[in-house]
Amino acid sequence: MSRIDHSQLQGNILRGYRFGLVRHMLLEVTDRATVRAFLGVAAQGGGAEVPAITVDQPPDKTWPRDQKPASCFNIGLTFAGLRALGVAPGDLATFPTEFREGMAARATKLGDFGESAPRAWSQPFNRPEQIHLVASIHADSTAELDKVDTQVSRAFAVRGRLDGYALAQDKVYFGYTDSISQPKFSHVKDEVEPIDPYGTVLLGEPTRQEGLKFGVPTPQVLGHHGTFNAFRVLRQHVTAFEQYLDRAATELLNHPDSALVLPLDAQFSDGEKPLDRHGMLREVVAAQMCGRWRNGVPYGSSPDTMPDPASVPLTEYDYGRGSRCPVGSHMRRTNPRGGAIVQRIANYTRRLVRRGMSYGPIHTEGDSEPEVGLLGNFIGASLGAQFEAVMCDWLNLGLQDPDITGANDPLIGANSSETSWFDVTLRNGGTIRLRGFPRFVSTRGGVYTFLPSMPAIRYLARLKG
Amino acid sequence: MQRKAGWLDKFVDDLPSQGWFQFLSRHLVVPYWIWRDPKPVLPGGPRPSVQPSESVQRMMNLIMPLKDPSPIGRARAALAISQNVDEIFAGLDNVGTVHNARFLLLDGNICMLSVYDGDFSNYIRDFIATIGSVFDAVMKEVEGGDAMVPTTEHIEEFIDWVCAHDLFQAPDIATDLFNLQDAAKGIAPGSLPHDLRLLPRELILQLHSNPNISLGGGYRAYPGYSAAQVRQKFGVGW
Amino acid sequence: MGEQHRNLARKLVTALQRKDGDRKRRPVHTFGTGASGHFIPSPVAAGFCDAEHFRSPTPATIRFSNGSGSAVRRDGWSDVRGMATRFHLSDNKATDLIGMTLPVFFTPDGESFLKFAIEARPRPCQRATPWQKFRDMLRLTPPVPDPYDGETISPDAGAIAFAHQHDYARAGVFQAATIGAPQSYARAAYHAVHSFVATGADGTQRWVRFSWQPVSGVLTTDPEKDPVIDDYLQAELARRLRNGPALFSLMMQVGEVGDDFNDPTRAWPPHRVRIMMGTLYVEKMLDDVTTEKLSFNPHLLTRGIAPSDDPVLWVRKSAYEVSSGRRRGTPCPFHGER
Ligand code: HEM
Ligand code: HEM
Repeated sequence: MSRIDHSQLQGNILRGYRFGLVRHMLLEVTDRATVRAFLGVAAQGGGAEVPAITVDQPPDKTWPRDQKPASCFNIGLTFAGLRALGVAPGDLATFPTEFREGMAARATKLGDFGESAPRAWSQPFNRPEQIHLVASIHADSTAELDKVDTQVSRAFAVRGRLDGYALAQDKVYFGYTDSISQPKFSHVKDEVEPIDPYGTVLLGEPTRQEGLKFGVPTPQVLGHHGTFNAFRVLRQHVTAFEQYLDRAATELLNHPDSALVLPLDAQFSDGEKPLDRHGMLREVVAAQMCGRWRNGVPYGSSPDTMPDPASVPLTEYDYGRGSRCPVGSHMRRTNPRGGAIVQRIANYTRRLVRRGMSYGPIHTEGDSEPEVGLLGNFIGASLGAQFEAVMCDWLNLGLQDPDITGANDPLIGANSSETSWFDVTLRNGGTIRLRGFPRFVSTRGGVYTFLPSMPAIRYLARLKG
Repeated sequence: MQRKAGWLDKFVDDLPSQGWFQFLSRHLVVPYWIWRDPKPVLPGGPRPSVQPSESVQRMMNLIMPLKDPSPIGRARAALAISQNVDEIFAGLDNVGTVHNARFLLLDGNICMLSVYDGDFSNYIRDFIATIGSVFDAVMKEVEGGDAMVPTTEHIEEFIDWVCAHDLFQAPDIATDLFNLQDAAKGIAPGSLPHDLRLLPRELILQLHSNPNISLGGGYRAYPGYSAAQVRQKFGVGW
Repeated sequence: MGEQHRNLARKLVTALQRKDGDRKRRPVHTFGTGASGHFIPSPVAAGFCDAEHFRSPTPATIRFSNGSGSAVRRDGWSDVRGMATRFHLSDNKATDLIGMTLPVFFTPDGESFLKFAIEARPRPCQRATPWQKFRDMLRLTPPVPDPYDGETISPDAGAIAFAHQHDYARAGVFQAATIGAPQSYARAAYHAVHSFVATGADGTQRWVRFSWQPVSGVLTTDPEKDPVIDDYLQAELARRLRNGPALFSLMMQVGEVGDDFNDPTRAWPPHRVRIMMGTLYVEKMLDDVTTEKLSFNPHLLTRGIAPSDDPVLWVRKSAYEVSSGRRRGTPCPFHGER
């Protein structure tokens, strides 16, 4: 029996809702009293004019197994938002520095420069001081989204809306199946990966690093069992990505060591039609860049063919010494699992809960292709120790292994075609270095938010002055 | 035609070497400008950078004032280090990103100087996770340190504290000082005009706010390589 | 594009010509000293740049110069110095590497350099009055240095005013203003400033920057002391070479993600990966007539090394050709090219 009272947690932290649609509303508090009243009702089961904040598990445990609500509603607050709601300066000061500064101020650490720099972010992210809350609505129909939207709009000044949707089969643009790996908090049948302590996402609980506790902001009721979220709008340059796969496949096709990349008699299909060798090599490059074949199968478990995902364990594996999954792949960078890393004490300590949906296409004049991408939420009890730590030392820079230090994540890293490189692994333990690929994912905006517990929301609603 | 130098020119040219004028500058002119144009304290440590070579072999110059700067207090601080050599070495081996690290007693301070790879917060956090107990012993001897013991439970505060006690690193390109000063005031770099001739004054005033600084990012014989890369190249494992 | 460049180049060369210059000489870097020698690549050089001179020892011609365009030689005055090197490759081919003692340029492109050249055109300069100096001291600003004996016009005030308005010019102007005079041409470091694209033996391309580091070390004259003579650098070099060659190490910085490869106003910090590419042995003096006829061009490159898209580098291609033509130098390598 865990000590966690799931009825007091927002529902989007420990689980994914698996709705088809999402709307993130970027809100400014222009009238404190109205917002407090709104939050008060929302945190007490909602009312006629106010949506209920969805909790992890209602006290009577009727949901989710018996009846899924028509929509789910959750909130995150930025630092400016906490201040706007009247949190006392002394308490505000107990929030961690990175959250207080906000995502835009941390741009360099996050690789947000050039076209990804906050200066170039789209509305309203270029005015971060106006974003106080991010309200997220999940539902299966636009009508349901709109219903909640209308209610929310009455209490806040709406500075922006971002609509997302789940692509079929949990795909992301680029064609990969996503949402497979997540931290595991309760007993799940997995002999390979350790269980993640609740402190990974809940403030006040023990963390994975022995003895280390993240500071809980005061007052206790506000900070306890809260968590932080890095909300990112990530544009995916699909054409550039697919074109690069073509180029890299051609290079590998003509490479003297081509047979070491993929056996010459390899034969597999993309799930529908059989692929020619060039087509298969494209998939190998895509798989090595990510760490999974685009159909979700871990590349290391099956480097020579892309099997049916139903036939292989998707999360129970590790990166041993001989693993063909490149240390530079997106998955190994963001979660090295038990594999050897330079920071020996850091395995499994920088875990992230990920909730994402795709967005787009957005047509902008002068843009070479419609914008599509990912609305990503990267959740953890410490932005500094988890999200930022992954971003600046592992995902970019590649400090965790001397073989990749100096190179950035091939799939989503801050690359430039003049300097990028990525080592494709070979069957004999060697590598072929690919170069010259551009940045495939650029940042269009984002904010750091605090996801308060239910008692914390009620506390905010009760603030005076 | 050039104007010839008269006695007054010579007199003025000579002023900076005159004791009375130096006295005047130090006690009147400089304080006046400090009052007129105060500079925010610039943050310590290397600045984040997207270039890999700026993100490896970074310097920490951590200056921690002792509560008791007498020989007794200094000896206690010295013991806190020397009795924990095992802990420190094991910790640094497993943090994995440190090129070298040493402690100094300098006047009333205990100083930690190190060269490490990667992000500053990650370095400190990993360090505390492994050898927090040693740092607890050190922090007990340091001014304002008690509030952060045990460091494992005050990790964010401790990181901020270390950042504040790590020396500001003057830019490698002198004129970048303008941008750093602007940034500290929340002004976008490059958006204000600056008179180059005022750079020396900006430096004087900055040195009032940050009396101890590190001059530039320093020389490296093999820049751009991490500790693990060097160890790998030598074949000694990482 | 080509004709546009040439138009701008003509305007630039004209703008650079000083009132007190000599039209039969170079409009900038007017006084030079020539020498010959050879370059020995380091064992790792070819791996990073497959150009011929990084594969095997190569004879070289060098022209050291004072940056000023005045027709009076003033070795002792504070000034940027130049070092233009021509590597003589096989089949009568050659490649140039042109460096100066400033690590950065003043402006990011040709158009802005034209503005700079006009605003920083040498203007009459005067010793600051005692009152101006006193006021500066009270402002904690070092007074404007007195003009040298015989100095009547100077570009400094215009350059500083330009940098006041244009932040990209700050680093260059600041360093130019405080650069001083070297004890010897062999005791200064010279930077080729622009990024070039070097192709290694395995075909890998890298965006790189080159610097010559004097093996005998960098040494400037004492700025507190007035220069004694106007012409010492040539004699010094001749004396030095009689005792043996003067050596320079060629260091190559490798650019990284986030670096602007096309902006010569931004130096790369000294922490980029740095490759030791080889050693230049400056051996014999050249006679002045041969030296002053030489026409270098930063675009005279060879297989293995290519220009970046730096617009300043591109406009220099035409500017050096135009200038060489006007002064009737040995025809520029790009003479007549359309
Ligand atoms: C548009 C941008 C991104 C795309 C297209 C993308 C794609 C993927 C894909 C396809 C997977 C494998 C599916 C799975 O295991 O669930 C994955 C896993 C993962 N990604 Fe991303 N990702 C993106 C951004 C990020 C960012 C910004 C981070 C955080 C710093 C991140 C962290 C992770 C983590 C932690 C995993 C799981 C690794 C594991 O546990 O083994 N991703 N990503
Ligand atoms: C738009 C920018 C520039 C223009 C218009 C320009 C123009 C010129 C001209 C017209 C000459 C005389 C050429 C001749 O008559 O042969 C010259 C010489 C020279 N310039 Fe530049 N220059 C520019 C940038 C630079 C830069 C960035 C450097 C440093 C790397 C540089 C270093 C030199 C040197 C060393 C010489 C003397 C070459 C010799 O010894 O023959 N210049 N420049």
